[in-house]
Amino acid sequence: MNRLHPFSAAVYALRYGLLWLWVPFFLVTALAGAIEVVNIAWLPVAALLGFLSGAAYGIVYYYRFEYGITPDTFDVASGVIARRSREIPYRRIQNVDVRQGVLQRVLGLAVVTVETAGGGHSEAALQLVSKSEADRLQHQIRRRTAGVDADDPDRPTSEASEDSRPLDHEPLDKQSSRVDGTAEASPASETRSRREPTEPSRKRLFALDSRELLLYSLTTLRPAALAAVGFLFFFATDTVLDFLVTLSQPFGGPQDLQTGDTQSYGVLTVVSMVNGIVITYLVSVAYTFATYYDFRLGRVDEDFVYERGLLQRYSGSIPAEKVQSVTITDNPLQRLIDYAGLWVETAGYGPDSSGGSQSAVPMARAAHVHRFAENLTHVETPAFASPPPIARRRYLVRYSLIAAGVVAAALALAQVTPLERWYLAAVVFVAVPPAAHLRYVNLGYYVGEDHLVIRRGFWRRRTTVIPYFRIQTVSTRRSIFQRRLGIASLVVDTASSRTLFWDTPTIYDVDLEDARGAHRTGRKRLQSALRERARTDDASFSVDFT
Amino acid sequence: MERLNPRIRVVWLFLAVFRAGIVGGFLVGAALVLSETGLWANSPDLLVPGAIGLAVTLGLVRVAVAWRRYAVWRFEVQDDGLYIERGVFTRIKTVVPYVRVQHVDSRRSPIERTTGLATVVVYTAGSRSADVAIPGLTPERAEQLREDLRRLAIESEGEDAV
Repeated sequence: MNRLHPFSAAVYALRYGLLWLWVPFFLVTALAGAIEVVNIAWLPVAALLGFLSGAAYGIVYYYRFEYGITPDTFDVASGVIARRSREIPYRRIQNVDVRQGVLQRVLGLAVVTVETAGGGHSEAALQLVSKSEADRLQHQIRRRTAGVDADDPDRPTSEASEDSRPLDHEPLDKQSSRVDGTAEASPASETRSRREPTEPSRKRLFALDSRELLLYSLTTLRPAALAAVGFLFFFATDTVLDFLVTLSQPFGGPQDLQTGDTQSYGVLTVVSMVNGIVITYLVSVAYTFATYYDFRLGRVDEDFVYERGLLQRYSGSIPAEKVQSVTITDNPLQRLIDYAGLWVETAGYGPDSSGGSQSAVPMARAAHVHRFAENLTHVETPAFASPPPIARRRYLVRYSLIAAGVVAAALALAQVTPLERWYLAAVVFVAVPPAAHLRYVNLGYYVGEDHLVIRRGFWRRRTTVIPYFRIQTVSTRRSIFQRRLGIASLVVDTASSRTLFWDTPTIYDVDLEDARGAHRTGRKRLQSALRERARTDDASFSVDFT
Repeated sequence: MERLNPRIRVVWLFLAVFRAGIVGGFLVGAALVLSETGLWANSPDLLVPGAIGLAVTLGLVRVAVAWRRYAVWRFEVQDDGLYIERGVFTRIKTVVPYVRVQHVDSRRSPIERTTGLATVVVYTAGSRSADVAIPGLTPERAEQLREDLRRLAIESEGEDAV
């Protein structure tokens, strides 16, 4: 069994020390008011005692934390008073991630997390180990996970070696010129030469070049940026307000917040809104840039390995066998310049906390991304079918209702505030027909030989490729309105759809007969695909669902 | 197609009345507070009767939905998966292939115990796992169904290996 890096002792000591400091602090403060014996002057001593005992706990925690690699499992034993020892079988591991913050990069340290499909959080987190140890662990676990699959000749072995061929053609010549083999392989090659000389080299599948990175940063808007800006505003309200007032003055804004007439306040509002949007956008661009800086995707044996990040460095591995579904995303801007991104979903949890989706290709030419997805899943080029036109009428009605709601809200507002001309809100009705049409034209589905392809969404369009053998459950849903119109939605659940932002893949509003047909096909093909896979397995069907 | 035990209506009706009572209590209570304490200076005379009317209407809708739910609910143990039909407003037809069954629970809440019923919950690895619950079974049927599902889940894998 191994220990964490000695530096973690200091980190844990500091963390628990600062945490425990507050216990006697509050205790003394509360008791001093109630009991005479307790004196408020004890506070510094009590706080110091709390800190010291916390620090001691942290150090003991470090000494009681052990992990190790055994032939079949990855073991972690932890806990000072209540002990927990956990054994994670290699075949159950979804992905292994290595994270390095700025300070950790300077010190050459890293956090390793091991994900499985169960539970609501990472199965094991090693905080902190040295970078070389992290690479060794990632590499060892990956090798052993692959070894488990090699023991029982599992299907992806044959399948994946097939797709590594077309994928290998994939990296265009410009990418091979981008390859900087020495820089990335140095820690890995070190372990390689020391441990097993037969370690296969990593194949470069994709690297995000600076042009793609810039385009990706500029065309992606992250909702998280809004939260960051809101946070800033919350903590520096006065400064931000002064700043906004100053910025609006050249356009006729008020001298300060107290003096001003209706017009100058109006100018202030408009200018501040524009500022807010611009700042949020800039924060979002900077965030995306820093997160996906120097993104690289490669393949080692049956695993995808990726690394990215400017300040905080992430690297992770995704076993190809654990991939549940593949999604191509694009937004209107990206469609305009003909670019798209590719995401790979597993049942584990990713460092982005957006469930198990990992960006495999953040941004590349749409044609390139489509070819990549086709090589990855062996899906044939989908011929999308559209829902019947009645669906569009449905969206027209739905959005009209929303617009009516907006007008009603404006009317209600006019009753309690001096707002006049509330009926101008009716302008939102103009947006209804295009919105309904755009939603409709972006819907599509394809019931293929081995895959189901579902496309939906306008602002963030997602095209999800689901192999039949990954289907968990299939549901046909019909609301009252759908029943009247003779249409239905088909919900295809996979083990990867446990995400917060992404809904379960759904084929919306298709003809009832088509929905029933797709339902039947999905159900039948799940069974036959599983049988086929079992046959190629030489009768050793593995019991894992992922 | 198998239907639920008719006694499930008792459970659902009880729950509907209970929940309607809570929501209605809040509605009428809020109306009373507003009109009696003078928080809302000149509240309309119809405020309290209106709140009572709304609460009663909501309660009646709930009761009607609970009653109707029984007529809609159906399930069948088919050869490759468990088939379920349900939903009063949104009709949902779900198939849970036996290969995908992770584990099966049977559980009985206090009200189910008093009416002599049980619920079987089928878990999959998908995101809507907890959605697949079959209520309104006699304890014997629940036990049997759980055993059947367990057997089918194991068999479906054995069959695949051939």
